[in-house]
Amino acid sequence: MDSRQVSEAIIDRIVEHNSDTRSLFLRFPNDQRLNFIPGQFLSLQLPVAGKILTRPYSIASNPEDRGPLEICFNLVPEGQGSHYLFSLGAGDSVTFTGPWGTFVLGQAPSAECIFLADGIGIVPIRPMIHRALKSHSQFAVRLLYHVAREYELLYRTELEAWTQQHVQFSLELLGGYTSDRLSTVQGSLLEYVEDQYVKRDEDRSRHFYICGVGSQVTQLRDLLRGAGYQRRAVVYEKW
Amino acid sequence: MAKLRVTYETGDPEKVIEFDLDKAPFQHDGQPGSILDIMLGHEISLEHACGGNCACTTCHVIVKSGMTNLSENEEAEDDLLDRAPGLTPTSRLGCQAVFEKDGEVTILVPRYTINQQVG
Repeated sequence: MDSRQVSEAIIDRIVEHNSDTRSLFLRFPNDQRLNFIPGQFLSLQLPVAGKILTRPYSIASNPEDRGPLEICFNLVPEGQGSHYLFSLGAGDSVTFTGPWGTFVLGQAPSAECIFLADGIGIVPIRPMIHRALKSHSQFAVRLLYHVAREYELLYRTELEAWTQQHVQFSLELLGGYTSDRLSTVQGSLLEYVEDQYVKRDEDRSRHFYICGVGSQVTQLRDLLRGAGYQRRAVVYEKW
Repeated sequence: MAKLRVTYETGDPEKVIEFDLDKAPFQHDGQPGSILDIMLGHEISLEHACGGNCACTTCHVIVKSGMTNLSENEEAEDDLLDRAPGLTPTSRLGCQAVFEKDGEVTILVPRYTINQQVG
């Protein structure tokens, strides 16, 4: 499929992660597959209030996955696009262009990779980590994943399994919650990153991939670049 | 009044928008008063796959004149432009380049974007 071409997909099924987060699994006509790079998004064209809204939704699945493609998103209180999508059911169709976006990891890592996910920001990062791990790179792959409440953790079983299956992968959960099952670090991503990757050592060879909502993303960018990490080694997507 | 002159690398006919800057935003995508906001609000299309949220380069435009009438680039815009094909010293993202004063700006809408590349 051509990125610019307006295409149609049918909602194959819906998975509700919690009351305001869900995944739509999209199937394309004739079981076509979409060729994309981990981290990219679809640009959905949503008919809302007599107009067509253009809204981006990150792809949560992997390019090599068989079966429907997954997008995952939050219900945004004032967001017309997400409210429209939450009104749809299995069998309904959506139109889109894409894939789009340059927040990607397309090749095997060439340095230690630190992924910083805040809340729903885990969505594009999930296939990026999958790509990094499948590449059998020698470099460590670390995920720092912050959510405010435990029920907001997405893909938890899969992420925990990766820590067992891939010796180079490690997972740190951050947030203000406590859990019997999980070991979590109290505090913000910003504080943790400053402690672990700015103050602790002089190594500035790491690559960072940051995704989340709001100004914390650019604060993390500024912290890392200001500490001496290369500009192009600190990539981010701010929602 | 301010004026935005839109020209196209494809050779499509140029379009001229005259507008009152105080009436921005003209619609809901992109920074209020941005080139994207002005174009969409006057029913002239410009690609903006990310909804005008500074997350892609599909609204890449080249400013041919009047740059001083626009806001300065911020780091996020520069980071994305870094990956835009056909980057020029006067490239901007339409969703981020905001009219800050009355005057005329002429832009060229390029033909391609890097976002079409897939793995």
